[in-house]
This record gives sequence, structure tokens and C-alpha cells, in this order.
Amino acid sequence: MSTVSDRFAQARHDLTAREVAVGLALVAALGFALLVMQEPLAHDALHNFRHSAGITCH
Amino acid sequence: MIRSYVERGLLAGAAGGLAFGLFVAIVGNPLVGYVEELGHAGSEGGQHGGAAAGEAVHHAGEGLLSAAVTNAVSVGGGVLWGLLLGAVFFGVVYYFFEPAIPGGGATKRYVLAGAGFLTVSGAPWLVLPPQPAGVEASLSTETRILWYGVMIAAGAVVSLLAIYTYGRLSQRGTRRSVARLSALAPLALLALPVALSPTAGATGAVPAEMALAYRGFVVFGQATLWFVLASVHAWLGVPSSIQTADPDYEIEGPAESAD
Repeated sequence: MSTVSDRFAQARHDLTAREVAVGLALVAALGFALLVMQEPLAHDALHNFRHSAGITCH
Repeated sequence: MIRSYVERGLLAGAAGGLAFGLFVAIVGNPLVGYVEELGHAGSEGGQHGGAAAGEAVHHAGEGLLSAAVTNAVSVGGGVLWGLLLGAVFFGVVYYFFEPAIPGGGATKRYVLAGAGFLTVSGAPWLVLPPQPAGVEASLSTETRILWYGVMIAAGAVVSLLAIYTYGRLSQRGTRRSVARLSALAPLALLALPVALSPTAGATGAVPAEMALAYRGFVVFGQATLWFVLASVHAWLGVPSSIQTADPDYEIEGPAESAD
């Protein structure tokens, strides 16, 4: 387990496609909600957070 | 094995998120509100041109939410932000790139934290510096989201290049100090997308000292978040299953495992 490609091979062996899909979806959803969602209510509720974290997609 | 890594990443993320949530609660909420009022008060007497009209549209939803809701959701957002960074960087990225990241033990985590800070915050700030609330950015939201994405990608690329450069050089037996300095060279590549990007201006009446103090507050907050993530992750140690399965683990050498 000492190289990056070994890690990829190991992960391919350990994880099912569904787990990978669920994981990616979760990350994408959370990232989208925190970083780029422009829906006014959600956006303004996170207003102070965005400005505190220096996220300027706003 | 990746599961135990993601688990540790989430644990570190929870700790970092709680710390950052606390930071948002104690400093972020009151400061953002105060600076925003400064900006609005300043622009009140001035021009009510296109920017102000855009602002009115932009803040259409603001009146619907009480300050308490905004404050609470923002603190929650801070906690989730830490969790997201912890899971992605100290879970998944750390699992895949652990063999390539130089150093051993805690150093590895701080190198990753530096690369993460550069990718998620540092590089995007070169094009879109943190703006105090209450000023209106001159670029459209779509342009800003696009450039935010471009700079995150650019930050990830130069971080990988830096780690790769260091690994290659120490494999060749270059002196450590030289390898370290050379590893910083790829960071200069960030000048390329920055030169191509449109200039992000802002209109508003926040005093310059306040804007500077505000930037300091933002940089400090993110740097602290990454520091907490890395420290807690280092404190959590290595999953015991991996220590026993891989006797070579944590033996520090001149990047014998760069590729």
C-alpha cells in the first residue's frame, strides 16, 4: 500500500459503484448548497457564513 | 480501508467544523452585520445607480428572514463547511495521496492542510478577494462562480505539481532545503489564470481600514480551520488495522513512494 495507484486499486476493490455514487452526490449537494446556491431564502440565511469564510459567489 | 480513512476525515471535520462554527457565532455574525450596515449607511447618500438597484433585487429575500435565523443557519453552515472539508480532504484525498505527500505523521497533515487552503481559498481569493458584506461586486454572479471554479481547479493542479516536484527532487537526492524551495515554484503558475481573469472590483462605502481588517478576519478564520483539521487528524493517528497490515508505514525516508 505504498503508492498512489495502489490506493486507487484498493479503493476500486473495496467500494461498490453505488457507494461511490452516493458519496459523490452527498459532497456535490453539500458543496452546492454552501458555495453556489442562489435561491434567495437559502442564500440569505447563509449570508454571514459566506462572508465569514470568504466565499464570494454571492 | 478507505472507510476508516473517511471516518477519520469526518471526525477531524466535525472538530474543525465546530471550531469554525464557534468562530462564525462569536465573530462572524456580529462583524458581518456591522460591516454591512457601514456599507449601506455609506452608500445611502451617494449614487443610487445601477449597482444599488441590483443590490435591492439581490437582497430581496433578506427581509423574510430574522437575524436569529440567519445567524443560526450561518453557524450551521460553518459546521457543515468543516465537515465537508474534513471528509473530502482528510478522508478521501488523504487516503489516495497519503503515499505521495511528503513528510511523516503530523507534517503530512499540515502539508495537506496547506494544499487544501490554497485550493479552496487561497487561489480563488487571488481573483475574487473576500469582500465585506454591504459592498456590491462589479462582476456578475455567473462570472464569479465560473472563476471560483477555475481557480479551485488551478489551485488543485499547482498543489499536485508542488508535491510532485518535491517528491521527484528528493528521490534524486537533492538537498531538502532546495527541494522545498523548488516545490514552491509551481505556485507561480497561478499568475497565469489570474492574468487572464477579469478584474473584480466592488462598489460600496466600507472604509479601507475596515475592509483590510475584514480580510484579515476571513484569512485567519480559514487558516485556523485548516490548522484545527490537520491537528485533530494527526491526533487521531493511523487506523490500527493499517499499522499492523503495513509494517513500512510511517517510516520516513526521502519520499521513496512518490509514485
